Amino acid sequence: MLNDLLVAFQAVATLENFLIMAAGIWGGVIIGAIPGMTGTMAVTLALPFTFYMQPIPSILLLVALYKGSTYGGSVSAILIKTPGTASAACTTLDGYPLAQQGKAGKALNMALYSSCTGDFISNLSLIFIAAPLALLALRIGPPEYFMLMIFALTTVAGVSGRSLLLGLVSACLGLLLATVGEDMYGSFRFDLTMDMQSGLAVAPVLIGLFAIPELLKIIVFRNNQSHKPMQLGDNHVTRDELRRSLKAMLKGSMIGVVMGAIPGIGPSAAAFSSYGEAQRSSKNRENFGKGELEGIAASESANNGCCGSTMIPLLALGVPGDVITGVMLGAFMIHGMTPGPMLFENNLNEVYMLFIGMLFSSVLLFGAGKATMRFFSHISRIPPGLMAPIVLALCVFGIFSISNSMYDVIVLLAMGIFGFFMFLFAIPAAPFLIAFILGPMLEENLRRALALSRGDPSILVSSPITWLFASLAIFVVVVTIRQQLKKAKA
Amino acid sequence: MKLTFSLAAATLLAASTAYAQSYPSEPVTLVVPYGPGGASDLAGRALAESAREYLGQPVTVVNQAGAGGMTGARDVTQADPDGYTLLLARVGMALSPAVNENSSVDWDEYTFISPLEATPMILAVADDSPYESVEDLLEGIKNDPGAMSYAASGATAIDGFTVQSLLADVEMDPLTAATLIPYRGGGELATALLGGHVDFLAIAAASLMPHIESGDMRPLMVFSPERMETLPEVPTAEELGYELAGQVIGWSALYGPPDLPEDVMNTWAEVMEQVAEDEMWLSRADDRGSISTIGSVDMETYAQEQYEFYRALAEQFGYLE
Repeated sequence: MLNDLLVAFQAVATLENFLIMAAGIWGGVIIGAIPGMTGTMAVTLALPFTFYMQPIPSILLLVALYKGSTYGGSVSAILIKTPGTASAACTTLDGYPLAQQGKAGKALNMALYSSCTGDFISNLSLIFIAAPLALLALRIGPPEYFMLMIFALTTVAGVSGRSLLLGLVSACLGLLLATVGEDMYGSFRFDLTMDMQSGLAVAPVLIGLFAIPELLKIIVFRNNQSHKPMQLGDNHVTRDELRRSLKAMLKGSMIGVVMGAIPGIGPSAAAFSSYGEAQRSSKNRENFGKGELEGIAASESANNGCCGSTMIPLLALGVPGDVITGVMLGAFMIHGMTPGPMLFENNLNEVYMLFIGMLFSSVLLFGAGKATMRFFSHISRIPPGLMAPIVLALCVFGIFSISNSMYDVIVLLAMGIFGFFMFLFAIPAAPFLIAFILGPMLEENLRRALALSRGDPSILVSSPITWLFASLAIFVVVVTIRQQLKKAKA
Repeated sequence: MKLTFSLAAATLLAASTAYAQSYPSEPVTLVVPYGPGGASDLAGRALAESAREYLGQPVTVVNQAGAGGMTGARDVTQADPDGYTLLLARVGMALSPAVNENSSVDWDEYTFISPLEATPMILAVADDSPYESVEDLLEGIKNDPGAMSYAASGATAIDGFTVQSLLADVEMDPLTAATLIPYRGGGELATALLGGHVDFLAIAAASLMPHIESGDMRPLMVFSPERMETLPEVPTAEELGYELAGQVIGWSALYGPPDLPEDVMNTWAEVMEQVAEDEMWLSRADDRGSISTIGSVDMETYAQEQYEFYRALAEQFGYLE
């Protein structure tokens, strides 16, 4: 295998491939950093160009865009409290407070180090343990998915901020709104208008919930928090801080690898779970949500930790886990390669070239991140009065361009007003988003499981994997209740 | 390569100025009413690639997913009938209004430009399944009604009708004899069978071929007018004497908003004639496992037949009151 990898290395290490990947990563970072523009969009837009390219460079371009945008989401999460992609939502919780404390550079650096670490570990897992991970992913059926989602939902406790009760209220609202639209059996729910039959898309809800309320605050409160232009000053992550966050980073990468390998789960759920786990096990638990570097490390290592392993079901089984790998499947097929078990027999050389290229791209991500950071970090110096209209325009434009739909823009604005009221009642936004993203997976897999068992709920605890996730969920709930009781006594 | 294309486009543009303002004078948007990467998206992009050369203008693919394809379809029917917004129609555009009284667009609210391709469907079980033939499988279903499960995009989706029509052919209750487990999209459906979470399925060939080639799935029957070239041993539903199942098949077509002007129709008639023989179009169709049908049927008649066929099935199965 090593010999084959060396041959592939020679084939990939051309200037052309490097330029393509560098352009992809850089473009991805910028698109990811713009609120409303997502990695899915970047990959979809790039697809037509790959028709004219060689097969391997074209897949590498798509992978590079995906990786870049996954990191790029953290940039706007830290600097303007608006996650560029849903998977960076947890990065906002600690990143923006750090930026307000004048430590934007530090937060951006930590996000970059964690993203690259997660990315690299994810690539290694794709190269060396793809087969066992793919088999594990296949074992995850509806009951296992359901229990995994229950476990992921326990993160709500961690991101609720001061009041667990308000966090739960927020999560319930998220679950409720997730039911809008056509359900899996074809009946319509809350379809007040024809457009609502297709439900609420994640991007407008995400941006509406995080970006618009910030803008409304500036208008309504006339920006009375005296605003000093933020200093970049404290730029570097010290060795001590790095050592402290290492555990969260490695654990996050592992969570990213496993969740990325399971079709349909994706980087958002991984980032939420990793953040929850880091908070539970950290000594600095109290500091989470107020500007804790470990929080950024956990969330960013997990979302980029999905980038490599999300290719596992695609390459090893031929099944795309999400829209992005779906587009990649299309790119493979256009070039006459069919992902799946036969790919390793028919196109082994190409597969190795892809592996090597992906390892390179982790390094390129580091370079592109460093280079872009200098430029982006100046954004935090722009006064809010000037920033607000720019962000609003970007949001509206970005959301409209996803599917050329005015309906999405209306959802964006409505969610913005909704988010502003949530802010007035001190209801945290993060639990809402988590529940909104996990809700459909939770519901659909519960209904699938019960259909399979013909209504017998014991199917939900019928396999060792379900026991594992169920006990993890129970563990977290017990720990949370004990912490709450302690807090109440103190 | 791209330069050559733009040069070619520029030349054609220059040539067409002789007929002042003639169609098309700007890029044409092709709405694919499903997400990127799927079978319909690939079909749309292949058409866009092959048609641009003969049209003299680029064709831009826009994915507008939602409500089982009806969101994109509705937007196209409401667009200006100037020929610059067209729809990659699928069997769903005839199926949805047939099974859903409140469908946002009826089957005939379009201008029918041309059929594109037929996409065969395959009935398959996992490699370790005890069922070796369709009769075996149906026997198994009969022995314990409701115990066997199959994956499909929805009860009234085309890949649900494949199984239900087969069950109806052997006089079993199409809705309860086997349990439908809904999944979203070809990838999820195939995974459900690979992981052993469902017992069988009958979905688009393109999603299953890799797993059949690798030996992880066993094809029992194809839903196609003739046997597939890549699976010469697998019988068609028609050969096996399944009357309803023998008529179920997936397809794509090119539609436009109602009342497209004549010059647009003429231009596209010429373009499609050339695409029908375009090598890239034909080889891409092969790659997807589909059969080009350009020029083989009158699209309006075919769409009406399809609508009436599914309408009758929906009534028989009890989806309509």
